[in-house]
Amino acid sequence: MSVKESPVKEIPVEGITYDQIKIEKIPATPAYIPRDARLIPAENRAVVINPGYTCMPLGAMLAVLGVRRAIPFVQGAQGCTTYVRYTFCRIFKEPAAIATASFHEDAAVFGGRRNVVEGIRNLVVRYWPEVIGVVTTCSSEIIGDDMVSFLKMARKRLRDEIGAEKEEAVAIVLINTPSFAGSHVEGYNRAARAFLETLATRRTRPNKKINIIPGLVYPGDIREIKHLLQEMEIVGTVLFDIADTLDAPLHPPQSLPYYPPGGTTLEEIREMANAAATFALQPEAGGAGARFLERRFGLPAVVGPMPVGVAATDAFVQALARFTGRGVPQSLLDERGRLVDAMADTFHHTMMKRVAVFGDPDTALGLTRFVCELGMTPVAVAAGTPTRTFGRAAQAIFAEYQHLFLDQPKIFNGGDLFEFEEYLKTLKRLDLIIGHSKGKDIAGELDVPLVRAGFPVYDRFGYQKKPIVGYRGAELLLYDIVNAILDYRYPDDRTQQL
Amino acid sequence: MLSLDALPERQGHVTSKAHFVPEQFQCERATLPGVISSRACVLYGARWVLAPVREVLHLIHGPVGCAYYSSQVRGKNYPVYSTALKEEDVVFGGQQKLRRAIGEALRLQPAARGVLVYTTCAAGLIGEDVETVCREASLQFGRPVVPVNCPGFGGKSQGTGHDVAARVLLEHFIARGPAGPVLENTLNILGEFDVQGDLQEIEQLLSELGLNVLCAVSGRAAVENLALARRAALNIVHCRRTGELLARLLEERYGISYLKGSFFGIAETAKTLKAVGRFFNREDACGHIEEKVAETWRRVAPYLPQLAGKRVAMFFGASRIGSMARAFQELGMEIVFAGAQCGSREDYREAGRCIAGGDTLLVDDASVQELGEFLRRCRPHLMVGGTREKFLAHKLGIPYLVFPQQNTPYAGFNGFVNLAREAAATINAPVWQMLRPARPPDLVILSARRWAGAGPGRRPSSSLSGREGPGAACIPPDPPFG
Repeated sequence: MSVKESPVKEIPVEGITYDQIKIEKIPATPAYIPRDARLIPAENRAVVINPGYTCMPLGAMLAVLGVRRAIPFVQGAQGCTTYVRYTFCRIFKEPAAIATASFHEDAAVFGGRRNVVEGIRNLVVRYWPEVIGVVTTCSSEIIGDDMVSFLKMARKRLRDEIGAEKEEAVAIVLINTPSFAGSHVEGYNRAARAFLETLATRRTRPNKKINIIPGLVYPGDIREIKHLLQEMEIVGTVLFDIADTLDAPLHPPQSLPYYPPGGTTLEEIREMANAAATFALQPEAGGAGARFLERRFGLPAVVGPMPVGVAATDAFVQALARFTGRGVPQSLLDERGRLVDAMADTFHHTMMKRVAVFGDPDTALGLTRFVCELGMTPVAVAAGTPTRTFGRAAQAIFAEYQHLFLDQPKIFNGGDLFEFEEYLKTLKRLDLIIGHSKGKDIAGELDVPLVRAGFPVYDRFGYQKKPIVGYRGAELLLYDIVNAILDYRYPDDRTQQL
Repeated sequence: MLSLDALPERQGHVTSKAHFVPEQFQCERATLPGVISSRACVLYGARWVLAPVREVLHLIHGPVGCAYYSSQVRGKNYPVYSTALKEEDVVFGGQQKLRRAIGEALRLQPAARGVLVYTTCAAGLIGEDVETVCREASLQFGRPVVPVNCPGFGGKSQGTGHDVAARVLLEHFIARGPAGPVLENTLNILGEFDVQGDLQEIEQLLSELGLNVLCAVSGRAAVENLALARRAALNIVHCRRTGELLARLLEERYGISYLKGSFFGIAETAKTLKAVGRFFNREDACGHIEEKVAETWRRVAPYLPQLAGKRVAMFFGASRIGSMARAFQELGMEIVFAGAQCGSREDYREAGRCIAGGDTLLVDDASVQELGEFLRRCRPHLMVGGTREKFLAHKLGIPYLVFPQQNTPYAGFNGFVNLAREAAATINAPVWQMLRPARPPDLVILSARRWAGAGPGRRPSSSLSGREGPGAACIPPDPPFG
């Protein structure tokens, strides 16, 4: 009794075996062995350690889930489907319906024709989708499946079975995403192009609408974009509108098969050819779709930058105003004013804080610009996926804010999280990391706070609903950053003074 | 119309307990193309078992996605290495890259005691000779570099991957351990992954019998543990799908006998402990087990009224249906639906033996659509299963408990109390009363009555026990079946 009640005075160190101490991660190498410096940069290695990006099909599947009553059909082994469903479930906390072609040895030997023809048939008679996004994988691309002719056969089989009328009601979009040829960012990009190429084929009656291709963002971001459009009284179409499909309310009873509400409709995608301009918020994820419409129908394409922070949102709003002839309403100016006010109020916390940023290239660039606007000192910025323009774009941001910091920040165009982590370990001081959930262990190892932003965030709730784009999104992100700094005790400055 | 009618191939995979004939039940078949199934690939199965093996590097030879996804196993993050095959590697072959990658990984982690090289679909299809590369690397680095031959398409489900993993563990880790006399009073637990501290619970119970756990595959599977495993006196198979093959191989090779047992549920735990006690000639410990059983019943008693008669639906990986069905039935609950992603005939046979009700639906490899329809038909108060189905069940208004569990251990006697407590809490969660806005007049009268009659300390759950549970309330009546 008394033993239970008395607080432990000393930590009993003796006699506890290693196993009994709860240690999640036991390093394979004792820390005192220095690593071979030549092997730290990812470009010097064949091995990739803790990759911060995944393969193409994921991006394409996310895109398809943003279309109303659409189901991705993955021409590959079951893991390609199940792993991605698991990933989406963990990020969005929503059911994600993705059909598998169920590749097995026979498909590897004889090709995937049977899987497509029977699979499309089974999917249609069971779920009655309006759109099927056929996503290829490394397997089907290596075997060399002729997907175009397979899909013709699948359509014929459907027509024979359910009649021409029902068969024509199902749109099938083929998205070629060989996993080894790019990252999930490119997968989304290809999906945007494939959907527009397949569906937006005719410019019949031009209208004043604006197309938005948001890229790899969250439902909260899309809602914020829609809010900006609404305030400016602009009618827009969001391609791959996951705002409701991946953030659906709980309203039982539901009809079966369960389809979430919302999503871009087939008709809206067809109508995109008639719009006045296309905005791709992330050049690397969706830019190809905007460029296709520009090439084909002469629609002006505004490709990036992602509207994170003051300047990028200003640019977005002004471009919207330019293409629609609408003015910027007072309500948006007020939102901007509140953001700027918050930046002024919190500046003494953010100033000179040394921050590392990582994520998908466009998100990372947007975040980098915003932390510069906050007067923080970026020390490293990493894009999981290498792109042609990332290095230059990051340099341009740093050049703009060069007077704020002395050292040139390190830019990682591609590379893995291991390289990023090893670089951060060499820094004398780091105050904050901004990035997605894969950086959790890095932040833990370095003992600095991690502000979660970007794709994917799966170990926290609510981030998929919280925008980072627009003025209000930037304000929310700013509070996350400031509060992370306040929650964390710095030994050497005055952050506890509010 | 039930969607089964649209796919006649699926008819044999679905039956009710009353009509269940194990020999005729269709299972261990490839998933139909075009359905939304929860099954996974062979790599997933191999990672499920091998990911917790410590002190070795896990190198995934394939496109980056395979490494990215397989770094997460049972919701836990593990460091992974990958060759991240690119287009040119697929065209010209990735063997050279693999060879370099192994060397570099070992230079960066010089204390690693081995490398596991997983093959993937891409590596399998371009015909990589991973075995030769691994053999050469083993000689060069003086450490086991082990090929795990698990291309995703190489089997009907993740189950094949479990088998591949078992053979890898035997050949390259257990068999490398030094031979020696059998260690007294020691055992291994096969198919136990130490989810949320399950293993500590089990170990505590076994240590009360004076027994030590040498190795748990793979909840405690450092290289040292695996090397000692061949000298254990007994193997307990806790999960058949991941543990039984290894147990059989260990019996054949080292003569270690094994027994199948479960630590989920009071009766099962007691039975397993007694069987283990008998094996080690410690029958004297049985009385102490009975005491524990009685104590556990006392501890779960407060939850039993909330759970009695409630309907449960279960959808698991493979082998836990039978033992978990017993556990829920001990809590007075009724199993209305039992399914597995990749159950074997033996798993379903056991499930058939364990499940009491004749109307219980048994479904193999249920798709999302089937789950939805059967849930609507069975109207469970609670569904238990993996994360992927959780959010669909929620959308249909069904409370959901994730298993393998997310909060506390469910194994052993303490675990059973946790299970009862969490099941009761989940079923009676206030949120399931809020699916529809209450009509204002009712609210006024109800609250007036409640506040007039009871002090603030009264538990609102007691007022629920008499009527239909929340899960059933929000699901519409049965649609006609068939």
